[in-house]
Amino acid sequence: MKCITHILLVLGALVLVGCKEQGDPRIHVRKDIRSDNVVDNYVTRPVAEAFSALAGWGIDIKRAVVITNEAGYRELHVDGFNRSASVRPFRYRVEWLDANGFVIDSQATTWLRASAMSRSPFSIKAVAPTTNAVDFRMDTMKWE
Amino acid sequence: MKTRLLHIVLAMYLCVIGCTPETRVVDTRNDPGKAVIVLDYRDFAETASEMVQSMIGSGALNKPGGGRYVMTTGKIQNDTMQRIDTDQLMAKIEEDLLNSGRVVMTAAVGGKGAPDQMVYDTRDIRDSDIGTEFDPNTLPGKGRLLMPELSTSGKIIQKVLTYSKKEQQVEYYFQLRVTNLANGLVLWQKEDLIVKRGSKKTVAW
Repeated sequence: MKCITHILLVLGALVLVGCKEQGDPRIHVRKDIRSDNVVDNYVTRPVAEAFSALAGWGIDIKRAVVITNEAGYRELHVDGFNRSASVRPFRYRVEWLDANGFVIDSQATTWLRASAMSRSPFSIKAVAPTTNAVDFRMDTMKWE
Repeated sequence: MKTRLLHIVLAMYLCVIGCTPETRVVDTRNDPGKAVIVLDYRDFAETASEMVQSMIGSGALNKPGGGRYVMTTGKIQNDTMQRIDTDQLMAKIEEDLLNSGRVVMTAAVGGKGAPDQMVYDTRDIRDSDIGTEFDPNTLPGKGRLLMPELSTSGKIIQKVLTYSKKEQQVEYYFQLRVTNLANGLVLWQKEDLIVKRGSKKTVAW
């Protein structure tokens, strides 16, 4: 049991080292193009992917910003990161709220598709249906 | 012998009843249902949402000097193998455009003719002998209708490809544009793509 724990800890450390971004963070050079690391290596990759699945890594939301665009509508920009070793397709729905905190009824409020490549950043943009929108709430679900 | 036959018939009846899936109302707000190879309501909802967000967010509907544009829906061509009423898409888009506060839709002029024929029926009554039966103050006056300033038009295209021995790929392209009718210039345009892969045995029309 102790041995398995040690192996998992070592693998975890290796994977974390492998995840370390190098160079300009705005440029993502994918595996098979960049130099191999522990995560991408042909031999160690299955282990890293198994660990990723075991650890339950998935989507992390890094930032959500609401601005008023030039057209006068509120615009939501969400930045996230997919920590898992596989592509994560998912659905999201943005509901816009008025000054009273009530949901603004709109046909645009529906589940939309999104997808994030493995260990990659992704962005989502949503535009409010009316100029009365003040705030938002966002929900996600698995894309079957 | 009769009793035995009755038992067989009863068993078959129960089997048929038991195998029939029960009818249920779909939760269209949170539908986890499987995708289908043809266009379904979720595809229209998604496309309408993306089109409206893009259209509103672009600022193309902001009228210089303020006010609202008068808009109509022009011709939306269904170039698919499915019998689609393009209003399934456009009704959603029109609803949100109206609520956006940037445009008013006219029911007097449209790509399929007047969206509301009553606009002309009331004028026919006004110009006929029956018109004298109505209070003249409630009859529509001449020169009151407004011509649309903007028009939305577009096309839905379907392309079927062989993906593998057993699978086909069906691509649906939704193309939409907003045209300024005064000068013919396109103020906004977008293409949305939905691609589905499924068994070749499934019919895509």
